[in-house]
Amino acid sequence: MTISRDYQILAGLTLVFAILPLFANQFQLTLLITLLYWAYLGTAWNIMGGYAGQFSFGHSAFFGIGAYTSTVLFLNYGISPWLGMFVGAGFAALFGAAMGFLTFRFGVKGHFFALATFAFAEMSRLIAQDSDFINSTIGLTMPIIGGDSWSQMIFEDTKLYYYIVILGMLIVATMISIWIYRNKLGYYLLAIREDEDAAAALGVDTLRYKIIAVAISAAITAIGGSFFAQRFGFIDPALVFGVSISIAVLLRPIFGGSGAIWGPLVGAIFLTPMEEFTKIFVRNPPEFLSFMKGRAGFDVLLFGVIIIIVVIYMPDGLVGSIPQWLERLRRRLRGQSQSATQEAAR
Amino acid sequence: MSKILRIVGLMALLMMSFGVMVTTAQDDMMVVRIGGIHPLTGFLANDGLGMDQAIQMAVDEINEMGLVPGITLEYVSADSTGAADVGQQEAERLITEEGISVIIGTFQSAVTGNVATVAAREGVPLIIDVAAASDITERGRDADGNQWTFRIQPNADVMGTFAAQYAVAMTSAGGGELGSVAYLHEGVTDYGRSVYGAFEAEAANIGLDIVETVGYEFGADYTTDVTIVGASAPDAVMVTGYYGDGLTIAQNMEAIALDVPFVMGVAQGTYDQDQFVADAGSLAECFFNSNYRWDNLNPHALAVRARYAERFGEGMTSADVLAWQATYIAADAIRRAGSGDTAAIQAALLETDYEYHIMPYDGSITFVDGETPNAIPVVMQVQDGAVKQVWPPEIAESEPRFCTSWGG
Amino acid sequence: MEWKQYRGSLIGGLVVISLFAILIYNNVDWRACLEPEAEGFVLSCVAENTSAWYARYGVVMRQATVSGLLIGGVYGLVALGLTMIFGVLEIINFAHGALMTVGLYITFILFDTFGIDPYLGLFITVPLLFFIGLIVYRVVIHPARDAPHHNQLLLTLGLTLLIENLLLMVFTATPRAIRLDYGRGETNILGLFVMQFPIRIWRAVITFDKLLAFLGALVVTAILYTIIQKTDLGKAIRATAQERDGAALVGINTDWINMITFGIGTACVGAAAALVLPFRPADPTAGNLFNITAFIIVVLGGMGNAIGALLGGLIIGLTQELTGIFFPGSPDLIGVFVIFILVLLFRPQGLLGQAA
Repeated sequence: MTISRDYQILAGLTLVFAILPLFANQFQLTLLITLLYWAYLGTAWNIMGGYAGQFSFGHSAFFGIGAYTSTVLFLNYGISPWLGMFVGAGFAALFGAAMGFLTFRFGVKGHFFALATFAFAEMSRLIAQDSDFINSTIGLTMPIIGGDSWSQMIFEDTKLYYYIVILGMLIVATMISIWIYRNKLGYYLLAIREDEDAAAALGVDTLRYKIIAVAISAAITAIGGSFFAQRFGFIDPALVFGVSISIAVLLRPIFGGSGAIWGPLVGAIFLTPMEEFTKIFVRNPPEFLSFMKGRAGFDVLLFGVIIIIVVIYMPDGLVGSIPQWLERLRRRLRGQSQSATQEAAR
Repeated sequence: MSKILRIVGLMALLMMSFGVMVTTAQDDMMVVRIGGIHPLTGFLANDGLGMDQAIQMAVDEINEMGLVPGITLEYVSADSTGAADVGQQEAERLITEEGISVIIGTFQSAVTGNVATVAAREGVPLIIDVAAASDITERGRDADGNQWTFRIQPNADVMGTFAAQYAVAMTSAGGGELGSVAYLHEGVTDYGRSVYGAFEAEAANIGLDIVETVGYEFGADYTTDVTIVGASAPDAVMVTGYYGDGLTIAQNMEAIALDVPFVMGVAQGTYDQDQFVADAGSLAECFFNSNYRWDNLNPHALAVRARYAERFGEGMTSADVLAWQATYIAADAIRRAGSGDTAAIQAALLETDYEYHIMPYDGSITFVDGETPNAIPVVMQVQDGAVKQVWPPEIAESEPRFCTSWGG
Repeated sequence: MEWKQYRGSLIGGLVVISLFAILIYNNVDWRACLEPEAEGFVLSCVAENTSAWYARYGVVMRQATVSGLLIGGVYGLVALGLTMIFGVLEIINFAHGALMTVGLYITFILFDTFGIDPYLGLFITVPLLFFIGLIVYRVVIHPARDAPHHNQLLLTLGLTLLIENLLLMVFTATPRAIRLDYGRGETNILGLFVMQFPIRIWRAVITFDKLLAFLGALVVTAILYTIIQKTDLGKAIRATAQERDGAALVGINTDWINMITFGIGTACVGAAAALVLPFRPADPTAGNLFNITAFIIVVLGGMGNAIGALLGGLIIGLTQELTGIFFPGSPDLIGVFVIFILVLLFRPQGLLGQAA
């Protein structure tokens, strides 16, 4: 039995990420958790926004549903988040399917679909802010248990456990993503993305497969929301239903290469350290920029500039553009060495 | 596969390099680092930046005067961006990367709660300069019940409760009777709701009738909200919100000529600010605010504010003063602890009995369950173009006036 | 089919009646009339309670309507800029609000440093924002013209971060407010006549600055509408928006049109900024609020439709103000999003757009 190349890459990456914590201090471990976490959410977004080409600007709706469902179940009914996260995933999938059905049924697509998802996310934020049974704007707080508990998924002493959980989640999400990509569902989704009318003409039930993509993406995102609630111990509507989550979720996959299996992960590996680097750069700028030291906003400004530059010069994302660059570089080097040999031959 | 590995390897290398800490030149003085987390970017940056400057000023003063013998304080500031998860991550960075011994922060309740949890878990004291939600100090306790979070500001419960009592007492002192109030609060963050909740509870307690409540969203115009409040014909209008919305609400009240001679902010961000007087001009007259504040009768407080204004070219707000004060409380604890050892500083904080503060508190700053029992808000009013303390009478600079600048 | 010609008015009438029913149901104390001890007939009792309610809260309804229309005009102006960019370049310009913030700060500097009245300052702000728009297009948007749409969205997001934080660094986050020293009490209008401000209509007020913002927005919209409809440039813009390749074939320099359109769209927020600053302080994130409503309005009014943008602005302004009255206790924006989604589903081409 041969294992396909995708799973080989996944195994290699798993190995690397399993070893990395050995070299990381506490804060670097925090960063690694953040990195894997955004890679996970990006992978979820990618199924809907990348494979199926249904650009979502409202993933915070699914995220918030997941975070609130597991937290409310845990706080009010003592149900373990391990179970609650799947209940949240179910709710989010239902919500996503309903939203997908409504919008797709009425032929909403492209920019309009993106704006519709945004509207649904904002509506869920407003409703959450106004719902007293989930504590409205004041938010929900996890109890302090004074130690680590696997059954409650709260790790106050050992951050490594969060790392292990999110790494496991990322591996599962990536396997789902690979499976979809390499199977019938993936072909249908890619066909829908490339030309929906043609796909429909070939007998693909486009409505059905688009809704399936949204539901899967929503469910995976919701589990990420539950993880967020467990890890940070506090949620409120502005935080988990806010537009900043929606943006952060789509940033990684687009950066890495949307529609590619490894796009979200590569995007996260690039962007998370980059964000941190801009902060370090501002804290300790080079001599000629010393007047910028500690200026609030400079790091975010740099981050914005980096986004602009990367989007302009790497239109296909890192996964798409870097191989092109390397190819071009290799050709140029080869060309030079050839001319050098010709030169020598003369 | 190799290309992915190459990228992964490269990024792993980059991450390793984070560990490179900048070592500062050290003389024989011991260096103790103080961390500060505030919203330095985003929609609350206005407040956070001022507080950050105030801490820097306090640290410089303390070092210059050698108030902590044998120890040089160093300030490390961090940006919460106004988000709870970022604030928490920055707290983790300050503790594990920057090696700070005390954290001061963070202005928002949501962020402070998360930082308090981290601080308790990591065993680093957190001194809250501003953050109102009452349960934060509980979250700042570790599993053994040790208190790691200390607050010098009156919390939301205290501010809401006192505001209701003050409003009634001020009216009866003026020979009137306060029967009904209407309440306008921002309905987007926890702050508006928690302050209102405390006010509501106390109002029910003392038989004060709340005839109308509007939880508003941020916008460009609040005329309708103000009209709703006016239609209920209350004896007084209470407002809780941030600077920008408070300013617009004042303008809208003027526009409809709200016929209520008693408009009071409750822990509100606008009506006790010098900037409000500068921005709104004569419109600012008569607005009350029941809020945390420095004691304007204390000459030291005036000197501190003058130094701040000179150094940064802008007025020192109440939040800035609290950040400055929190730094001195931290320095006092570090002095008694004699080192940057976090457990020793926590123990010293528990024993805090600090009487040289510039707050309008009756007695010294001490901590019981992380709160300052003496912390109270004061009522201020804009009178003749200046913010004056008007209540409670012990620290009043002037008598409260029940009026509106639009002559309603 | 006789009834078809009445269908529109029938639906409209039903909507109005159900709105009234909702209003009364949610606000008037009709339950008391069902109590056994209630006097008189139930209906007359409800009518009595309704009029009692209206006597007290009618002013709120009128004020909400007036406020909604006034601010809606400004929303429409912001959306007008966005809808042109949307229509011609087919990009979701997230930086639109951030560019408006730039306009707010320019207006503030003109007033604060040079003492230039914000309304006079329009003649500086608008051209300045036009040029800023040209530069932004050339440097940031143009290089990614042929990239996938989502890249351009990301690009404008990056641009927003850049602009907001540049403004934060230069101006700090302190809200910058200006206060006009006229427009309250008796105000001399251009030396022609004297008016009393704020204007009162059955106790609902219209302030000088908001009235001027509304009228200014109408004027700018009218000017732009004329440009789009009557001039050669406008024809070229419309042609490019409808059929890019066809426009290129007949010799229109579509690249140039893109740039001009982006400039004009940005100039719109410049005008909006100057009109808004007298009642809305500037801070680095001030434009966000207008940005979000503008997106909704663009879809509501129909892409690239100037009149649709204005109409959409008024509808959104009204909805935002009235939601809280029809449904007490629910957030104002809920109504806006509900309308938005209904339009997306049932009339995706927008209220004034033509079906594809």
